Amino acid sequence: MYLPDFDYYVPASVAEACQLLAENIDCAKVISGGTDLLPKMKHGLLSPQILVSIKKIPGLRKIEYVQGKGVVIGAASTINDIVFSEVVQQKYPSVSNAAHTMAANQVRHSGTVGGNLVSAVPSADMPPILMALNATATIEGPNGQRQLPVEDVFCGPSKCLLEKSEIITEIIIPDQAMTGSTYFKFALRRAGALAVVGVAAAVQVENETIKDARVALGAVAPVPMRAKKTEEFLIGKKISDELLEEAGKIAAAECKPITDFRASEEYRRDLVRIYTKRALCKAIDQGHV
Amino acid sequence: MEGIRYPKENTLYKKKEYTQIGQSKPRIDGVSKATGAGKYCGDLKFPNMLYGKMLTSPHAHAKILSIDTSAAEKIPGVIKVITHKDVPSLKYGISPARWDENVLCIDKVRFVGDKVAAVACVDEETCYKALKAIKVEYEVLPAVLNYRTAMNEDMPQIHDEYPRNINTEIHQLFGDVDKALEEAYHVRTDVFEGQRTYQCPIEPHSAISIWKDNKLTVYSSTQSVHYFQYYIAREFGLKMGDVRVIRPLVGGGFGGKLEPTGLEFNGAVLSKLTGRPVKMFYDRAEMFAHNRGRHQGHYEITTGVTKEGKILAAKANFVLDGGAYTSLGIATAYYAGGLLPLTYDFENYQFDLMRMYTNLPACGAQRGHGAPQPKYAFESHLDNVARDLGIDPIEIRKRNARQPNTNTCNGMGIQSCHLTEALEKIETITDWKAKKEKGLPKGRGIGMATGSFVTGAGYPIYRNDYPSSSCMVRVNEDGTSATLYANAIDIGQGSDTVLCQMTAEAMGYRYENMKIVTGDTETAPLDFGAYSSRQTAYCGWACKRAGEEIKAKILETAGFMMHLPPEDLECEEGIIFSKSRPKVEPITFEEAAKKYFIIKGPLVGTGVYTVPRLGGYHKGAPVATSPSYSFCTQAAEVQVDEETGEVDVIHAWDVHDAGQIINPALMKGQVHGAFGMGISETIMEEVVFNKDGKIINPDVGGYRIITALDMPDFTNDLIPSNDEPATPWGLKEIGEGSNNPTMGAVRNAIYDAIGVNVASLPLSYEKVWRAIKEKKEKEQAAK
Repeated sequence: MYLPDFDYYVPASVAEACQLLAENIDCAKVISGGTDLLPKMKHGLLSPQILVSIKKIPGLRKIEYVQGKGVVIGAASTINDIVFSEVVQQKYPSVSNAAHTMAANQVRHSGTVGGNLVSAVPSADMPPILMALNATATIEGPNGQRQLPVEDVFCGPSKCLLEKSEIITEIIIPDQAMTGSTYFKFALRRAGALAVVGVAAAVQVENETIKDARVALGAVAPVPMRAKKTEEFLIGKKISDELLEEAGKIAAAECKPITDFRASEEYRRDLVRIYTKRALCKAIDQGHV
Repeated sequence: MEGIRYPKENTLYKKKEYTQIGQSKPRIDGVSKATGAGKYCGDLKFPNMLYGKMLTSPHAHAKILSIDTSAAEKIPGVIKVITHKDVPSLKYGISPARWDENVLCIDKVRFVGDKVAAVACVDEETCYKALKAIKVEYEVLPAVLNYRTAMNEDMPQIHDEYPRNINTEIHQLFGDVDKALEEAYHVRTDVFEGQRTYQCPIEPHSAISIWKDNKLTVYSSTQSVHYFQYYIAREFGLKMGDVRVIRPLVGGGFGGKLEPTGLEFNGAVLSKLTGRPVKMFYDRAEMFAHNRGRHQGHYEITTGVTKEGKILAAKANFVLDGGAYTSLGIATAYYAGGLLPLTYDFENYQFDLMRMYTNLPACGAQRGHGAPQPKYAFESHLDNVARDLGIDPIEIRKRNARQPNTNTCNGMGIQSCHLTEALEKIETITDWKAKKEKGLPKGRGIGMATGSFVTGAGYPIYRNDYPSSSCMVRVNEDGTSATLYANAIDIGQGSDTVLCQMTAEAMGYRYENMKIVTGDTETAPLDFGAYSSRQTAYCGWACKRAGEEIKAKILETAGFMMHLPPEDLECEEGIIFSKSRPKVEPITFEEAAKKYFIIKGPLVGTGVYTVPRLGGYHKGAPVATSPSYSFCTQAAEVQVDEETGEVDVIHAWDVHDAGQIINPALMKGQVHGAFGMGISETIMEEVVFNKDGKIINPDVGGYRIITALDMPDFTNDLIPSNDEPATPWGLKEIGEGSNNPTMGAVRNAIYDAIGVNVASLPLSYEKVWRAIKEKKEKEQAAK
């Protein structure tokens, strides 16, 4: 448990940060909140020679609503920034609530939303709700800017589709046609616990019918996943208890959980069934996204 | 004398009230701890100090073929590297009956984390470089990882001296069990399983050794300076007088810091060889690897009862996973069955136990030492029996409840006991009858259990003639303060505070003027330290006696000063007054103390306490004996999510028969803490190993302990009493009894809620989910 030596850079702009990363392509890492990176370094799992802090870059820690774009969350916004953001609380209370389920207060004060995405932990709490709301990530690198849907950011446990010289600068939650959304987390403790199963659901309900639905699952596949079969099953159907029960079963069938010391595959699958049903039920009832 | 209250009335015939005890005085170490000014061992630094670390085994079971330290020695900043060749080969352990551990492994490693080599370097970082550079060649051996099969003929042998990996075997028989079971109206057997948990104190183990001029000084985060002094002196062949052990502030122990570790032994060697102070410490993962936490066990309980539910006989057949070494486990083993006959009165009892060696970290003493898991089994079983007979769970316990001034079948004497009142009270405060009659909402259930614990172990860990506790009080020359010198160890439970309160009470003085010097073998007299909930009772006797000696001396001096016979004088809160002549002007403790010093020299009182001989004469009789026992009842109300198996403990109640309370605020802290630890072990804690015997959750993220958010609403109630003659002021233990009933109470509540038996700890959500699922499948199959 000893932090190895490293050089610490504090660039003043995104361009400068990307340049630093490009120049030190195999030995540099971006540090934001550090809640994921530093423990890994202390355990000897990572030993970057250079840390590039993005904390002092102006504009990366802001949350605002931009007309025509949606709610824009700077990647260096802490999880608690999202919890307490008036903009988020007004536009997407379910995102603020999802953020509040994460870790413990101390970690939420330090950890950032960008970090929660790029660390690509299967059980991360932010991705499912962001995926359910069709959020995109703005990624900047030496070759300019690009947009990627949040669900396409991940490609495996602790692996994401960013180039080593790229950083996520913001997350955009677009304006919604969805009428309700929520994130349900099943964890083994009330704070400081990873999700055993996380289910986010967003629905567009018209005349007791599901016009559109997006369901995203956390901790039950190598990456946070959309439950697309479940969504397809739901769309166009009249709401009933049986429908939601069936949707839960489909989600349970399409997820790919593993057994670890927190829970067995079998248990996780059944929790997906139960939590999908409950999340859909709440998203339908609560009348806000 | 500002702020001094002079009694205006004749107080001779007034009922005596305590002025220093029974009050929530602020902790004597509270400010220094809360502000961060207090120093723990890890905070200390000495000039020229080196840092030390140990290289530990990556294998659960392996032969050491060779150790090459040459590359490590060449690294700049590495001052010394040691292996078994540099340390004494004398085996150690805390229990002399089973000394089986080496300072550094000689030919074999026996668990992942076993000690192989140690380094002393100029800084911590260099230590890690040095450890990486040490080359150890192992021949990996098949490992014994399952304690249930460890005794099989074909299993590898872990210690040559212990065939079939049996570390301890216990067979005790009291009365005629077979006959009683034959005559019983109903006989039932149940099997329960416990898990391995770890104490996980917030402060990691740490030790600084300074070996200079043939004298060894060790600063250590310890629960007992005396045991450390004894065992360190023994290991190095030193006179005890040449070993000084000092305890800085300790951030929790819970049983895990009662025995010296590789930190003290290797640190001492490294200091001797380098001539410099050496600081050694564990990080969190190393703490888990060192372990000495709670044994996991397999518990089979059989009882035979009458139609009315009176227990005629009980049989306990246990197997414990001891890990690679004995540690304190031999005591754990005897405690496991020894304490069971305490709460219920039965005459026929059979206790069989095997403590197995495995290639896992050694288990030792953890809060409630050996008792909580067997109690979980017994209390769960008793609810099953009550259900078989159609008797209410509290009613069956009332019919069997231990009564005052009785003996247990295994030779323990109980004087004060208010278990029946505690059962009645728990019934009232939980609204038990109404809940049972009217029923609870779906998925809701209530359960309860009883508990009991020793107020101090009757015998020390190694055989000796010393008294259990002693202390010394010296009053400052002008009487404005008094210092208590005691080696009672405050590990966070608050013993420094309550001992000062008790001393001040006995002296007729004020707690606020008390100072304390503890945890230093060179300045304070012997005490065996903090374990078995002994500190307040045992050192309390010594404090009471030392305080009374001071009071007697000062009243004699005051008698001269006031021209009154000392028998007519009383001293309370530092005021000395005549009991019969209210108009006589009182004098202060300070005036009398100063006069005493001028005439006679230092005003000193000493106190000593030796536990009388206790218990029966059978093998193992000393363990579980105590001059006094606490009793308690506990209930829990749970809401179970019948789909997910999630258990929400909505409220819990504890009624403790704890005698005279010395400090109500600290009592609450202890009961809350013990219950919190109990509920945490009940529903979530578990040390988990991979297939190679390596812990996969050696951190506070993976090893889940409850957070403040998980702590249920909790009612802490008491049966007030002070009728225990065996303790000072009639007090009883408070630190460990409250995690004794918790596991059983929660298990019984879950059964009440959803009718499923979760027969293994922890009572995790997944286990509850599985039990519900199996029950449903069974019901469907029956249809």
